[in-house]
Amino acid sequence: MSRTRPLTLLGVVAVVGCALAGETPPASAPQEKPAAAVDSRPPGQRLYARHCLSCHQADGYGVPNMQPAIAGGTWVKGDPKALALFVMTGGFDSAQRKEGATSHNVMPPFRQLSDEDLAGILSYIREKFGGGASAVTPALVSEARATLPPS
Amino acid sequence: MRATCFAKVVSLAFAVSATAMAADNDGLTLPPGFTATVVQEGQGGGRHLAVAANGDIYLAGRNGLVAMRDKNGDGRADETMKLGDVQGTEVRLYKNWLYVSDNVGVYRYPLKKGELAPTGPRQVVVAGFPMERQHADKTFALDPKGTLYVNVGAPSNSCQEKDRQEGSQGLNPCPILEKYGGVWVFDGNKTDQKATDGRRFATGMRNAVAIEWNPAQDALYSVIHGRDSIDTLFPALYNAEDNATRQAEEFHQITDGGNYGWPYTFFDTKLGKRVVAPEYGGDGKKLSDAGKYPDPLVAFPAHWAPNDLEFYQGKNFPAKYQDGALIAFHGSWNRAPEPQAGYKVVFQPMKDGKPSGAYEVFADGFAGDMKDNSPNNAKYRPVGLAVGPDGSLYVADSQKGRVWRIRYGK
Repeated sequence: MSRTRPLTLLGVVAVVGCALAGETPPASAPQEKPAAAVDSRPPGQRLYARHCLSCHQADGYGVPNMQPAIAGGTWVKGDPKALALFVMTGGFDSAQRKEGATSHNVMPPFRQLSDEDLAGILSYIREKFGGGASAVTPALVSEARATLPPS
Repeated sequence: MRATCFAKVVSLAFAVSATAMAADNDGLTLPPGFTATVVQEGQGGGRHLAVAANGDIYLAGRNGLVAMRDKNGDGRADETMKLGDVQGTEVRLYKNWLYVSDNVGVYRYPLKKGELAPTGPRQVVVAGFPMERQHADKTFALDPKGTLYVNVGAPSNSCQEKDRQEGSQGLNPCPILEKYGGVWVFDGNKTDQKATDGRRFATGMRNAVAIEWNPAQDALYSVIHGRDSIDTLFPALYNAEDNATRQAEEFHQITDGGNYGWPYTFFDTKLGKRVVAPEYGGDGKKLSDAGKYPDPLVAFPAHWAPNDLEFYQGKNFPAKYQDGALIAFHGSWNRAPEPQAGYKVVFQPMKDGKPSGAYEVFADGFAGDMKDNSPNNAKYRPVGLAVGPDGSLYVADSQKGRVWRIRYGK
């Protein structure tokens, strides 16, 4: 959370800056709404916050006994296709899962998310929690998705 | 010379830190007149604890049970002993027995008065609870007759067709309730019972980790863990702030045949009423049928994680604490990205088995600054409570297994 704030503030400054430099905004434009409506975090970070953060936490270290740490683990920096499959199927059911073995909670599958959204999340967690591991493209997620049995 | 100076500085620093520790209650904040001292620094994550009539302490943990004794009367445990192979949450003393549990059973060891270690092999009291990962700790209470009340937590968040999956609907009726999500009773004086021999005493309880017999009332009580994730599962109905604040941790008297509403409903702290869960047709404001499930005695804030409950009948605390409830809140994870909360021991005044005033924070400061709002970085997390023979309150921590003794007066 603390890390996302400066970015959000930058976004607010950017919006205000644009409004000042451009045409006069409509008089009815609410003063505070744009700040709340604009989320300038990169899509991957925003989607991580929306779908993953409450379990794996902002720092990626999870919650003792409840949900495993992903930060520094082998999955986030390993084979991106395997990671995409892990997230789409819900790692809990994966025969290969190891890092989650002592955690209490199940991980739900996220195959309902689009290739673009998943690529954004995976790229974000690889960058932030996987020591700067390579980004993941929507095409690679699509390839991984094609190997899944129909839902 | 240089080395000598250094050694002096170091020893002075130690002396100061030891004094500071005694004076500052090990960093805990307490009501005026109370002090906290460290009984045991910790040998790995603790859970519940029990204190014998002679002051011996038994701390349950995921690494096994630890027995502790203060031999020289300085308030610190100077003899510790790892006992047995039971890795779990509950430990209780009843007559000449030490009762413990893990995820699949309840067991007991014979304990002779004045002995720290059990004097005989472990016996099975109940075995054969299904192996689960979620909400699997079989915490329990014993009444004076030895009736054993076992919390069988639901291996589920809200009985969705697909657990914790966005938009997945609730199973109706929820089949999990046949074997889980309630309290089952057994005869605590008998051995070799099967889980299936138990009688379902109460239902509709997601996970009643904090379960306790209230001797002042001769009745069973629990503070039940409420559900998670209303926002990520039903984003059209709830936002992150709703999820962080609305689903109460419910304090109830648990009665024979009682039904406390999980998974069909939850008590909404914003509306101050019980609402239908979104998996079961709830729309964020639809109320549960009046009277179908009881309202909680107290609706504690969402996600604080009540992990132990103790009714105070000791002689050390001031009169207002008599028969009141002390509750250890382990602290939240599911409030993220909102700031985490809980991580404290709360006092709820009680009279005639009912709350007699607002709850107040009793002990706080366990978590420290908790960098990045991450529970992983909590310094300590209170998880277990027990009252000693002199009326001291003992508190156990799950991060390191630290144990404190809290007393009133000198």
